[in-house]
Amino acid sequence: MTALLSAEGITKSFGATRVIEGIALSIAPGEPVGLFGPNGSGKTTLVNILSGLLFPDAGTVRFEGKEITRLPIDARYRLGVARTFQIPHPYPALSVHEALRVALAADPGNRSAGEGARGDEEGAIEDLLSRTGLFNQRLVPCALLSQGCLRRLEFARAFACRPKLLILDEVFSALSALDEKELLDLLLAANRDDGTAFLLVSHNPPLLKSLCRRILVLEEGRIVRERRV
Amino acid sequence: MLPSFRGGWPAAGIGLLLLFPLSSPDAFFLDVFTTGFLLAAFAASWDVVGGIAGQVTLGHALPFGAAAYACALLTSLAGWPLPLAVAAAILLAAAVGAGVGTLSAPLSGPFVALLTLALGEIAHEAAAGNTFFSGPGGYAWGGEGGIPVALPWQDAPPFASYYVALCFLCLASFAMLRFSRSGAGLILRAVAGSPITAQASGVPIARFKRLAFTVGSAFAGATGAGFAIHVGRATATDLSLELSFQAATFAAVGGRGTIVGPVVAALVLHVLFQGLSLPPAARVLLYALTLMVTLRFFPGGVVGTVREAAWRVRWKNGTGSFRRRGRGRPGEGGS
Amino acid sequence: MSPLSQVLLDGIFAGGTYALMAAGMALILGVVKVINLSHGAFFTLGAYVAYALAERGIAHPGAAALLSAAIAFAFGVFLGKSFVNPIRSHPFALPVGTLACALLFEQAAQMVWGPHPLSIETGAPWVGPGGLLIRRWGAIAFLSSAALLAGLKGLLATRPGLPLRLIAEDEEIAGSLGMDVEAIRYLTFGGACAMAAAAGALLSPSGAVTPTMGRAPLILSLVVVIVAGMDSIGAIFLLSIGLGILGNACAYLLSPQWSYVALLAAVSLLLAARPAGIVVLAGRSD
Repeated sequence: MTALLSAEGITKSFGATRVIEGIALSIAPGEPVGLFGPNGSGKTTLVNILSGLLFPDAGTVRFEGKEITRLPIDARYRLGVARTFQIPHPYPALSVHEALRVALAADPGNRSAGEGARGDEEGAIEDLLSRTGLFNQRLVPCALLSQGCLRRLEFARAFACRPKLLILDEVFSALSALDEKELLDLLLAANRDDGTAFLLVSHNPPLLKSLCRRILVLEEGRIVRERRV
Repeated sequence: MLPSFRGGWPAAGIGLLLLFPLSSPDAFFLDVFTTGFLLAAFAASWDVVGGIAGQVTLGHALPFGAAAYACALLTSLAGWPLPLAVAAAILLAAAVGAGVGTLSAPLSGPFVALLTLALGEIAHEAAAGNTFFSGPGGYAWGGEGGIPVALPWQDAPPFASYYVALCFLCLASFAMLRFSRSGAGLILRAVAGSPITAQASGVPIARFKRLAFTVGSAFAGATGAGFAIHVGRATATDLSLELSFQAATFAAVGGRGTIVGPVVAALVLHVLFQGLSLPPAARVLLYALTLMVTLRFFPGGVVGTVREAAWRVRWKNGTGSFRRRGRGRPGEGGS
Repeated sequence: MSPLSQVLLDGIFAGGTYALMAAGMALILGVVKVINLSHGAFFTLGAYVAYALAERGIAHPGAAALLSAAIAFAFGVFLGKSFVNPIRSHPFALPVGTLACALLFEQAAQMVWGPHPLSIETGAPWVGPGGLLIRRWGAIAFLSSAALLAGLKGLLATRPGLPLRLIAEDEEIAGSLGMDVEAIRYLTFGGACAMAAAAGALLSPSGAVTPTMGRAPLILSLVVVIVAGMDSIGAIFLLSIGLGILGNACAYLLSPQWSYVALLAAVSLLLAARPAGIVVLAGRSD
């Protein structure tokens, strides 16, 4: 089976400090993978490189066999690699509904279909809103959303591109029990029903063990262990 | 969007403005209003770039002046018919905007302002300090005196100019309003609100920033060509930093991102300050003061502050599960 | 006397004085973390103060620099405390607001002194070796600004400069150590404005005094801080001298306006080539 996402020899330095060095990893289609590491181990840098927010100094990233090392994050999203942010940066003046319209507008299939797709778009937004439990908040401006709702919106935004791979950066930290449970169910359902692979970054080992089949352990910029659950 | 802008108020305003010349005011006031209409359209075009797309440009006079100069040179020197020259001028302004947008797309925040300021000042210095051409009879053209526009009519009646400018303002604002409420406008507001989230939602932000600069500059160019025709010449002040600054002032006072707000602010402030017959220096000084006071008390924008208050009232008790979030800004009051 | 060596000498004198202003810009960037587009207005203020003193028969560089620095410090503290500090976290308000200050001052100067270029009589220059003219104000300006910069370097390297360095590095730590970060910010703002005004006063006789004369030094300071950064005062000094020579050569070979255009082109090219801009501000986004 070919890997969905594979990375080889990823190296990145900021100034004189080498943050990650020679990282290789691969994720199979539909595979739930965890990434664990202490603070300062280079997790965020690695996630930024895999999602296209940063470009590595050396090494290659491939998605479905195609090299995407220097493809920016917006192009990766359109290919089906979506990521969420640990700290959401919402559009203050846009409503939840509008924020999702922006994400759907980026889908090339949706855009070329023109006016006829308006009904589909509305249907897709409603689907995302009900899956993430944001339907009652659909007209609320993002600036007024609670932390839990912002995290839900991050999920909805990520699911809007019907992703093949989700990169989730500390999505379950600092959430209420209800928010955490609903989002976990959402993630597991997507993995089970749509075969969405995900890379979950966390420093909560029990959570990783319960969700992932494989856990990569990052220390000082290198993958030091790989644990199968 | 503020509900009042959707109601009948703009219609009432347009009706009053249509009626005004019939009250036989003197030609000076007609001219003040005619210039005001053009400035208002210019402020709205700034808002497309600086308000809706959030790219704070301080060189918006560049497409305005470029179109004015193109209009003057093409009619006077190349002898093109006026409509053709105006069309070419608008195209040139849009191209200038696309170029500026391409250069500034990778930049963020204050650096966009810095780059656009520098580009605008280069154009202004080049136009102000040089007499490029000598016109008929050996007169030097260019420099502070500017370049005349060859018009097919002589001495347009102030009435006609007034109504043409008003008509242009209405059409241009309507078009820009439609643009701001289109799908592209929504994406631009997303880019302004949070570029990183927009990018992570699949928006190629550089392309959309360029689009905003191109569209805004095309409208600025149309206004610049109209201004050159109204005044009868293109001068270096059409490219000045003061002009760019005025547009930003109107937008900040009227509310960035609303198109209608900057139009209203431009009309009110211009008619007020011009109607007082102050010297130009005092006018710019008053603009600067107005802006500083506005920024000091509404640093997040007039509309943003008003809208946020309205939201809070509306959503506080609206939905059960909805909670208010503390809105601490990073870096504010570090002590 | 060869005109080129004269251009070179005047360029060194002017550049060394511009360094005072550029160091002020760097201080504001480092401590207040703001691009201050009104910095050029304080340069202009200094020049007009020098002119007004010369008109009353007090054409003395020291008096002009001290008085203008005091005035600029007062205005700078007011501006920093009451205007810049409240708006400094707003990306739209800052550049537009500081530009508004600059235009406000330009227009006020135009209303008081008129739009026409004014000049200051400073007496005959010394004639150095080879017929080189050594303008008195130029030499005094260069030496005093070099001395002031050395003093600033010393201040930053020793204990009294510690708060400034700490705030530039990490405001939260500085605040948690009990420093009044806000007060240090606006005092720094005022001090930097005073440096710009002193530079303007010292340089006023070398060119025409006009309301918009501060724009070129403003752009020069921006080029200097973008290239040299904010850490090394030595680098700021050398780069300012280089740009001063360049500007003087441009003015001599072409016309004075072209040195402004050359600086504008330089800042445009730098920003186009280095989109990250100035490092300290780019790193703030997280």
